[in-house]
Amino acid sequence: MSDTASPPSPALVARVEDLGKSYGTSSTRVDALRGVTLGLRRGEFTAIMGPSGSGKSTLMHIMAGLDSPSSGRVWLAEQEIGGMTDAELTLLRRRRIGFVFQSFNLVPTLDIEGNLLLPFELDGRRPDPEERAWIDRLETLLGLGGRLRHRPHELSGGQQQRVAIARALATRPDLVFADEPTGNLDSRTGREVLELLASASREHGQSIAMVTHDPIAAGYADRILFLADGVLVDDRPRLPAAEISSIMLAMEAAA
Amino acid sequence: MTGRVPGLLVAALGSAFGVALLQISGALTATAEADPDVGASATVGTLLTALALVFMAIAVYVGAIVTVNTVATVVAGRARRIALLRLLGSSAVAQRRAIAREGLITGAVGALLGAVLGTLAARGIVEVGVALGWLPRPAYGWASPALAVPVVAVVLTTWLSSWLGSRRVLTVTPLQALGSSEQLSAEEVRARPVRNATAVVLAVLGTAVLLLGVGVGLVSPLGVLIGVLGGILSFSGLVMGAHLVMPPALALVGRLLGRGAAGRLAAANARRHPERSSRTTIGLVIGVTLVTMFGVAIESFRRMVEAAQAAQPDVYQGIGPMLDATTAVFSVLVGFSALIAGVGLVNSLSLSVLQRTRELGLLRAVGFSRSQLSRMVLAESAQLTITGVLVGLLLGGFYGWCGAQALLGSAPGVGTLIPPGIPWTVLAVVVVVAAVLTVVAAAAPARRAARLSPVAALGVE
Repeated sequence: MSDTASPPSPALVARVEDLGKSYGTSSTRVDALRGVTLGLRRGEFTAIMGPSGSGKSTLMHIMAGLDSPSSGRVWLAEQEIGGMTDAELTLLRRRRIGFVFQSFNLVPTLDIEGNLLLPFELDGRRPDPEERAWIDRLETLLGLGGRLRHRPHELSGGQQQRVAIARALATRPDLVFADEPTGNLDSRTGREVLELLASASREHGQSIAMVTHDPIAAGYADRILFLADGVLVDDRPRLPAAEISSIMLAMEAAA
Repeated sequence: MTGRVPGLLVAALGSAFGVALLQISGALTATAEADPDVGASATVGTLLTALALVFMAIAVYVGAIVTVNTVATVVAGRARRIALLRLLGSSAVAQRRAIAREGLITGAVGALLGAVLGTLAARGIVEVGVALGWLPRPAYGWASPALAVPVVAVVLTTWLSSWLGSRRVLTVTPLQALGSSEQLSAEEVRARPVRNATAVVLAVLGTAVLLLGVGVGLVSPLGVLIGVLGGILSFSGLVMGAHLVMPPALALVGRLLGRGAAGRLAAANARRHPERSSRTTIGLVIGVTLVTMFGVAIESFRRMVEAAQAAQPDVYQGIGPMLDATTAVFSVLVGFSALIAGVGLVNSLSLSVLQRTRELGLLRAVGFSRSQLSRMVLAESAQLTITGVLVGLLLGGFYGWCGAQALLGSAPGVGTLIPPGIPWTVLAVVVVVAAVLTVVAAAAPARRAARLSPVAALGVE
């Protein structure tokens, strides 16, 4: 926004610099992130991996404008978001970021169509014809066509995740965050969901950041970032699940 | 238990009201007996006590509905914890008994507290009356065995309502402790053919009897007795079938809340637990119906008197101020049950927002602003209040007019159907109180919803 020490590269959709986050007071202080610097490339499907307590969720929350950093700087595209007010972050999440959580992604009182259109409604508008065409396409692509009038509880877990993905993609956000999107699914349904995310990135150039501790899930990503104890420890291109698994095991053994 | 404070408050209010009524009527009876003009007739005392008991019963009944609702809401929110205890080997019946026992204790403490407060209030009111010279100092001891009636009634109804409200405990399975079911599915509106049929029969039959009373009233004032019977029957049917009437009414009012995301979600939220919203609003309906009924009846009565007065001016001399005083006294007495219903509404909304923390986090994540969340809660509150008040006003207007018509339709100079009188003062007070209730009920939960950190809310199970 204001002075940019290092000008953001157009190839990066999000970036953090020397990011720190701590909780609690001096005596009970927990450092969730300790000086993380990284950038997510536009159009890529990036997995952020790490054992429990590695800080991967905290990193996602801050990059997605859900939480604020204790130190360091955060950009979404060319805009610095670290010091934004709550109102500015709300608009940012509504318009430029999509979310897929592990569970409880959908508003139970709204039907599927209502959930998909929620980000637009929050802006007090209806999707324009181009956006409407995109949403229709997503509905077809994700096989939701016949269920638009259903309520979330009438859908299976896998179907609910598909709706969540469709909602996250509907506004064509700069970046979609997926937090353990397959954590609650059986493995076959989980693979389908991962395939959907990968193809959204591959075919539509959607930038996606997925937080996971599942090597199989990370195996679908173009790039894998490894976090441990609040620092970035490794940065790899696409890897087979078995190799990811052995890196994770090595990290656990070192800890 | 989150419902403890409101439970205690409802029990204390019910008991305080009952005790105060009995104390005041006791003091008034003592005064009347001392007055040589009124004489030692027992009629005044009996009449006052009977009236006190009727108003007390209404308040205790509304209090019981509120307690059932509070307990049911708390149980719904505690499903996970109950499931864990079930998993560890506790039986559902034992869990339910524990909740009922809690209700018994809450009821007992609240009722005794209320008895003390009610006596103090009654003494205060009588002292004011004496100081203003309205009545002589009564020779009354402020302790009578009859005072046990409201106290015992409140304890027993609180106990019973806790038992009824905890029925859902039986549906919680140990498996629910193992996750997977974070979102409790909406309480199913169980098919209850017997209850539904009874409610419909009572409402239809009651209304027919009520109209018959109005018809008979055109020729004889005895029509009012038929009318009262019809009124009690039809209103019982309505309260029994609240789960059939209130959700559509809520839906109708919900459409008025606007088409924005906050308004639409609020409308959906107020209807997501039809049972719960029905119970939340029916107390308010009872209070507002009764207040409006007396208001409209007395106002219609006044109109008929004016019509009759033209014919026989001397008979109806000086009746105006007496009618005003009667309206005021009855409104306060009946309005008290609306106050108890208000406590229930405040509590119900707080609990339901508290139980939706996770969902509020999700809404914040997808782009609800703080003010949109506050507006959503306010709109929910408005929907509940407005629906209760509107239904109450309509019903009260109808009953009040029927009552006046049945009693006075045959009076000389009337002899026909006349339009209902509108008690503007009463209506204005009802609307203002409803607006205040809407804001009060929404204040705390709206603030909570707005302050919530999205990350913390998303982490809540």
